[in-house]
Amino acid sequence: MLSEAGTAVTAQQAGRARRPARRLLPWVEGGTLLVALVAPFALSERTDLVTLATNVMILSLLAISFDLCWGLSGIMSFGQALFFGVAGYVIALVGRDLEFSQLWATLPLAMLVGLLLAGLFAAFLLLGRKAPTTIFVALGTLTGSYAAERLVSGWQYVGAGNGLSAVKLLQLGGYEFVEGAAFYFLALIVLVLIYLGSRFIKRSQLGLVLAGMRQNEERLAFFGYRVQLFKALVFSLAGMVAGLGGALYSYHQGFIGPGNMGPGLSTTAVIYCLFGGSGTLIGPVLGTVAVEVLTYVLADIDAIKRIWPVILGLVLLAVVMFQPKGFLGLLVSDRERIGSYGRRRSGGS
Amino acid sequence: MSIEVKLAFDVLAFISVMVLIVLGLGVIASMMGIFNFAHGEFVLLGAYTVYLFESFGLSAWAGILAAPVVLALIGLVLERLVIRRFYAAPIIAMLGTYAIGLVIREIVRGLLGGHYKSISEPIAGVFTVFGVDVSAWRTVIVLTTVCIVAGTWLFLARTSVGLQVRGSLENPNLARACGISTTRLYAFTFAFGAALAGLAGALIVPLYQLSADIGTRFLVQAFLSVMLGGVGTFEGPVLGAAAVGGMAAGLPWIVIPVLADPLVFVIALIIVKLRPQGFITQGRL
Repeated sequence: MLSEAGTAVTAQQAGRARRPARRLLPWVEGGTLLVALVAPFALSERTDLVTLATNVMILSLLAISFDLCWGLSGIMSFGQALFFGVAGYVIALVGRDLEFSQLWATLPLAMLVGLLLAGLFAAFLLLGRKAPTTIFVALGTLTGSYAAERLVSGWQYVGAGNGLSAVKLLQLGGYEFVEGAAFYFLALIVLVLIYLGSRFIKRSQLGLVLAGMRQNEERLAFFGYRVQLFKALVFSLAGMVAGLGGALYSYHQGFIGPGNMGPGLSTTAVIYCLFGGSGTLIGPVLGTVAVEVLTYVLADIDAIKRIWPVILGLVLLAVVMFQPKGFLGLLVSDRERIGSYGRRRSGGS
Repeated sequence: MSIEVKLAFDVLAFISVMVLIVLGLGVIASMMGIFNFAHGEFVLLGAYTVYLFESFGLSAWAGILAAPVVLALIGLVLERLVIRRFYAAPIIAMLGTYAIGLVIREIVRGLLGGHYKSISEPIAGVFTVFGVDVSAWRTVIVLTTVCIVAGTWLFLARTSVGLQVRGSLENPNLARACGISTTRLYAFTFAFGAALAGLAGALIVPLYQLSADIGTRFLVQAFLSVMLGGVGTFEGPVLGAAAVGGMAAGLPWIVIPVLADPLVFVIALIIVKLRPQGFITQGRL
């Protein structure tokens, strides 16, 4: 899948003279947004489904965060949940010990926590005299996530294995966000903002550099780009997004536990992203929707519930082997999946 | 005095378990450059084989002997069907083997019904050395590990197949040009690694209760051991496993246990960062 980036970029340059092909991705994005806007009204009878939808929004942040790492910059992170979980814990502790949960301060705090922690990891794993191997980065993030889970599950101050429950509700002034439509729209607004930001990065000149890195890192290095710095930058931003997701998760569930920062959730993020189609940003969101909704529906059917993880594993294996572009790759062309970069030249198309 | 001997024996026993698990992982990683995320599940399947033999009323010894054979066959089939597609792409291989591991783990979890099963030690009891009670089964594990490591080393260093393995590790293209079928060697290596994992699982299951997660707990430590020792060598992963196993068993005696566990990972990661090529330099399996 790495080699496709380049062909698409050149195809795009060659296609400049021609009329631009019909674009499908904006329609998918718009359609998803429309469904997301209407959903709570359609579901207003079933509060459990609104809760599920909110959860999907929040986990989508984690999926986008992973897509920034893998789909955009080719960093295999098996520890994306670490930033998610740590930010969630920080938020829960701030609520418990400082009795404070104002939206305007805690959400930026969570983003800062995710950003700094991911920056620290990036500095350790990516920067240095010698460029690290991809294996080292993948195993390093996995180890970080695993070690954090083990540390937290033995640490009494943060609730050890039971995690922190009864997290203080998220407040805006005097208003408290409980589960329901209000929280749903808050999560949706956050998701849309993060999505637009990520989309901007993907389609900017920075995104072009990242696409080049995915295809041939060495060549980009010869062009004079400090490749590892770019990776570290995107990894930190991805950590920020995951941190924001973790904070919302903590507030929404009223609970955060060691499992929310371990390799289990980290690999779930990988599954979301690969199902939907990595590198497309909307793909991981749709992947999250598909996996979570199916899990929820199938949980009611006893016969399937027990083998659901097996099915999930088999589908993941099939995706990895036969459809590495994800399900979105069936619909949209490579050229559109990889995207276009920078401003369009006025005489170009 | 006796406490030191006991500590030393505990550390030694855990190192043996680690070496047994890491050896198979290291061989596969060295030959094909694949970090097999399903390795923990191969260990689990080895343990499960022993459990099956016991529940059918057969001797546990038969199960221990059968486990490597069963796993070698499973390894061969998996290599044929899936793994060989991943040789060119180590990251994709991680995802693919993770998926395989997930499938195996969840199937076994379903079969076990989520319960923990304890399996009694085929040789129970203790014997006394230097006034210290030493578990007989752990001694068996230590001795088996020594035999396996020595046997693997002799196989690689002294036999003609071992020479082919070393040759295709050093230069696959040249090996192919010399008429060595690297595809067959890779299939063989993967089966061999799986068999070692199966044996490890069969041997350690009496020490830990059988549950679907028996292999996962060792996986991250095993990966770090391979990285620490250096991919592409025989001694490297063994030494790495000794270092990680020694730290994991020894650190809880020095610092509080809550910190000891993550500390092992942090120390190992820092060493790998400082010395990315591992203890032993590449190309000398």
